[in-house]
Amino acid sequence: MIPPSAPFSRRHLLQHAGAGFGAMALQGLLQAASNPLAPRRAHLRPRAKRVIFLYMSGGPSQMDLFDPKPLIQRRHGQSIQAPLPDRDKHESTERMLALGTEIPVRPRGQSGVTISDLLPHTAAIADEICLLRAVHADNNQHGPAALQFHTGALTEARPSLGSWISYGLGTENESLPGFLTIHPGIDTRLYGSSFLPAAHQGTPVVLPAKASDPAIDFLTDNQSDVGSQRRRFEFIQRMNRRLLEREPADPRLEGMIHSMETAFRMQSAAPQLVDLSNESPATQRLYGIGEPNTDRNGRALLLARRLSEAGVRFVQVTLDGWDHHGGIRAALPKSCAASDKPCAGLIRDLKSRGLLEDTLVVWSGEFGRTPWSQDLSRTAPIEKHGREHQPDSFCSWMAGGGVRGGLMHGQTDEFGYRPVEGRVHLHDLHATILHLLGLDHERLTWRQLGRDYRLTDVYGEVVREILA
Amino acid sequence: MAGPVAYLQLGMVFDRLCLIFRAAVMAALALPCLAQSGGESFFKAEVEPLLRARCLECHSHAGKIKGGLVLDSRAGWQSGGDSGPAIQPGQVGKSRLIEAVRYGNPHLAMPPKGKLPAAEIAILERWVAMGAPDPRVAAAAPVAAKSGVDIEAGRRHWAYQPVVAPPVPALQKDPWPHNEVDAFLKRRLDQAGLVPAADADAHEWLRRISLDLTGLPPTEEEIADFIADDSAQARAKVIERLLGSRAYGERWARHWLDLVGYAEQIGTEGKVFAEHAWRYRDYLVESFNTDKSYQRLVMEQLAGDLLPASTPRERRANLIATGFLLLGDVDINAIDKLKMEVDFIDAQVSKVGTAFLGMTLGCVRCHDHKFDAIGLQDYYGLAGIMRSSKTTFKTPHGIWSNVQRVALPILPEDEEAGRLHEAQLRPKRDELAALQARLKALPTKAGPQEQKQRDELSSRIAKLELAIAHGEYFHPGRPKAIAVEDAAQPADMRITIRGNPYALGASVPRGLVRVASWEEQPKIAANQSGRLQLAQWIADARHPLTARVAVNRIWQKLFGEGLVRSVDYFGVRGDRPTHPELLDYLAARFMREGWSPKALIRLLVSSRAYAMRSSAALDGRLAKVDADNRLLWRMNAQRLDAESIRDAMLLASGRLVSGQGRPGLPLEFAENVSGLPITAKSNHPQFAIKTERATQAFERTLYLPVVRTGTQPGSARLRDIFDFPQPAQLAGKRSETTVPTQSLYLLNAELIAQRADDVAALLCRGAGFDERVGISRLWLRLFSRPPQPAEVQESLAFLAQVRAEQVRAAKPDEPQAALSELARALMATGEFLRRP
Repeated sequence: MIPPSAPFSRRHLLQHAGAGFGAMALQGLLQAASNPLAPRRAHLRPRAKRVIFLYMSGGPSQMDLFDPKPLIQRRHGQSIQAPLPDRDKHESTERMLALGTEIPVRPRGQSGVTISDLLPHTAAIADEICLLRAVHADNNQHGPAALQFHTGALTEARPSLGSWISYGLGTENESLPGFLTIHPGIDTRLYGSSFLPAAHQGTPVVLPAKASDPAIDFLTDNQSDVGSQRRRFEFIQRMNRRLLEREPADPRLEGMIHSMETAFRMQSAAPQLVDLSNESPATQRLYGIGEPNTDRNGRALLLARRLSEAGVRFVQVTLDGWDHHGGIRAALPKSCAASDKPCAGLIRDLKSRGLLEDTLVVWSGEFGRTPWSQDLSRTAPIEKHGREHQPDSFCSWMAGGGVRGGLMHGQTDEFGYRPVEGRVHLHDLHATILHLLGLDHERLTWRQLGRDYRLTDVYGEVVREILA
Repeated sequence: MAGPVAYLQLGMVFDRLCLIFRAAVMAALALPCLAQSGGESFFKAEVEPLLRARCLECHSHAGKIKGGLVLDSRAGWQSGGDSGPAIQPGQVGKSRLIEAVRYGNPHLAMPPKGKLPAAEIAILERWVAMGAPDPRVAAAAPVAAKSGVDIEAGRRHWAYQPVVAPPVPALQKDPWPHNEVDAFLKRRLDQAGLVPAADADAHEWLRRISLDLTGLPPTEEEIADFIADDSAQARAKVIERLLGSRAYGERWARHWLDLVGYAEQIGTEGKVFAEHAWRYRDYLVESFNTDKSYQRLVMEQLAGDLLPASTPRERRANLIATGFLLLGDVDINAIDKLKMEVDFIDAQVSKVGTAFLGMTLGCVRCHDHKFDAIGLQDYYGLAGIMRSSKTTFKTPHGIWSNVQRVALPILPEDEEAGRLHEAQLRPKRDELAALQARLKALPTKAGPQEQKQRDELSSRIAKLELAIAHGEYFHPGRPKAIAVEDAAQPADMRITIRGNPYALGASVPRGLVRVASWEEQPKIAANQSGRLQLAQWIADARHPLTARVAVNRIWQKLFGEGLVRSVDYFGVRGDRPTHPELLDYLAARFMREGWSPKALIRLLVSSRAYAMRSSAALDGRLAKVDADNRLLWRMNAQRLDAESIRDAMLLASGRLVSGQGRPGLPLEFAENVSGLPITAKSNHPQFAIKTERATQAFERTLYLPVVRTGTQPGSARLRDIFDFPQPAQLAGKRSETTVPTQSLYLLNAELIAQRADDVAALLCRGAGFDERVGISRLWLRLFSRPPQPAEVQESLAFLAQVRAEQVRAAKPDEPQAALSELARALMATGEFLRRP
């Protein structure tokens, strides 16, 4: 029983939006009835209006970047007894050799947030960062873990975080969707809206290699000139309006006309937004645009800022290359070099524009990596080893709208394996993100097959300790 | 506990042992002299404040009751939560509360935010060692009894009541009804004082029924034939023609696939192909075309392997049918195989519940259903049945699993195909042998000349080996299917607490859902899985849900909304039927007429209700009484689904190739397959669609591959845009959304430009092209009706503009290019996307 979304009939909204919008003003309800993306009022006082989610696909190594472990450092190359259930043991990790960190991780700024020398630009904004050091999730494989990180569920296709937020708050820009995802991976479920109305699904954006390629699929028609496109568009709309006169009882037609108009507007608005050339050279430099290592990510993050600034509720950027099963000491610096300056540049840029106070930036992988080494070849020296996936504890950071900068929250055991304090399950992280946007994760629901579904399922607690 | 203890550093272990020891000694020493009141004072002074500060927020009647556990009274921890009593008085090591606060077990670590200080843990240990003195009596009502599913009360819900055919209303002298369906509907309309909408005109009706029954609009010829036929049987003839077409089976098979989670990919990690999945899809097409009884469809899909078969062909269909249970999503590269197994069992139980019964059983994996009378016992009864069937296997190397394949009986056509295939393989094998011999014959002392020869030979050998391995792997003479078999040792399943396969509760005998049963549970022998009994129970005419759910699904596909609008959920929180008598009448008649889908469809589309207009003006009164059309005073218009949008474009442009069914993934091209030949270290071979089969751009969308990750390949991409359900989702009713990405697709997709070119070329073929005729034919091909005069005028003006533009741009004035522009615009209109 998947509901039609648009036009979002009033009946439909009342039927499906469970207690979620019980308290919503009638005005807003009627507005929403005509357009599912119309801005809506939050449950609580929002601390942030929009989110930029920097998704580090692959699982960055938390102890090499943020959470140093003296014990592992001391025992480098030696076998350690870790509390690993049999089902998590692998042939390539069975020796359980502690793998020390080569590049130091040190306290930074006034606050002393610990950050690796591999991330000098991030280190320089340490006092903006709220570092969560005991995040945990439930699956150690990329597919299910990424799905859980994006939707809260491990196997089913549920609405993604961005879709829930778009559903909860609508968009502030009529020419753009409420949820855009830049350089997404191949799993479309990570930005799908599942049973939520499709208007809330993420629209993928891929920065084109050539200026003539569209950043959004089907955004442009390269074969036709502008004049004939407009002529065709006007003819289509004339036919549609004529049909609507003949068929006044079909609620779909009005929505079709509306969506055709939005699409046509998007065709002209989006390319301008994607065109980064009118940003100042200083801004471009801030993101590392033009430098070989950082150009691609820098562009993606600058675009994220532009979209965010234009009123898009949820912008995600995927930065990959963190899956270091082997040779982590050689490979990790490269991944850091490709992302450090763009990520820190984004925070600085948002701050200088006054956007950071109501923009929430979240940096995280789908899981972290093991303190002990992995050696797929089983013959390599320890210096060439990598690390296996670890969902049991890892680090994420947040900055901006409503979180306390310069804070470290949570602690893992001396191995860096299990959280011992300030545990944050990713359901808690989701609850907190929604909370910062003024949404109560227990009240943001959608009724489906008789049950009220939510992002956090039956879990999740807001991490109050990190709220500003 | 061995793991965690080993993991603690020695010093820590020692500290902890000392602590425990100290607490135990203290307790032992203290106990005799501590009167009950002493224990109580310790409790009041030390334990209660601690519980209040650390636990009661989530474990009390005043706060939340997480995991079913309350700690605000003695009775609370005595009866405990989902995983049993929280405290065994006096037994520190056996008390789950202590296990939880010690943080040794990652599945049971409390409080969740962080470990308590050692001193506080010691207090709790000491308290338990003392025998857990606790004077508190339950202040609030105890937690609702956990095994409290009231089956008898649950059965009072309408959907669990037996189907009883009501009498057909006799409507005195009312000329409106054509058949029984109309009589039921009209009585409700009369009662509400509503008047049915006017009849649809002939063009509208033909477009509607053609799209509904076959997924394709009518052709120009079919329209002309129908309009010219003024016999009384004209409509009946159309109905029979459509029901007899292959396209009918293709359309209705796809409806069923929406409930299966069908894809040609297994799991979502890597690109592991389900190379035999297409056999199940084609089995469905054939079953609908031959009008197999629904009862039989149920039996075959759940237990085909256990049914007798009189011919190898029948046996084969029976085996293929069980693909129903396997072709859903499964996480095949899970390291945790136990979890993978229970997750897959859950997906199967949920699917059986949704597809056949309109029940949501998935919730019951963790707890009794909150609204329906379905308990853990019911869920785990079914789960045991699923568990007793072979569904997946682990590959010898690595962490991957795959779903089970079984060999099919070999039919003459397979032998023939196998012979042809062998004939192609033989020369390759011969060539390989010859090359290997030549390689061997080369002198071992290699000069540069010989080395070059050697390398050349080796590379040719490698290529041949790959081609042979590919030919062996996809050998058509050895057909297989993705299918189920009973496990060697069927067994009941134990309850997994909160779905956690490592926290096990009681064992539950294999069995069926009690609230929807009418007699005692059937006997399931120790050596049987119980699938046969499950299938027999669902296919039984006494089952309250099976026929109702099936009839309602068919109704929904024809009328846009079900008589029960929540087509996949008939439970307490679902929609109630708008016409309960009609639903029961249809269910009873369906069963009486041999569970024939075609007979039911024939009855429904012959009704006058089916022939009503969809667009009656919504006057003020109707808007007040029934704007939502629950009483069905008009037809519901629908948007074409993704398949029909693409297929209709292909048909209109004369490019549609009628498919005969075969693999969707073009795995016959060796470049689309990686990971062959299989070695001892191999994971699964995988697919990548580098080469498409030439015909695939023009086959019906049903036959294009369905993948689980990434965008749908090639021209199947259109599915992603127009609400094709993600294969992990089961959707009896697809969503029908209107979003700007669809409009962008309609405005800009190359696919549409190509089809527009095709149709324009087709219409301009031959001498003496006439714009008016071209416009008229476009309307018939795209909208199934002739254009109105105003539309012809506007189109002529549009064509003139395009041609003037061509002249201005000094391009040749081509009527075909202009007509293509017009066709492209029309394919993007609401009317093209609409089933009236």
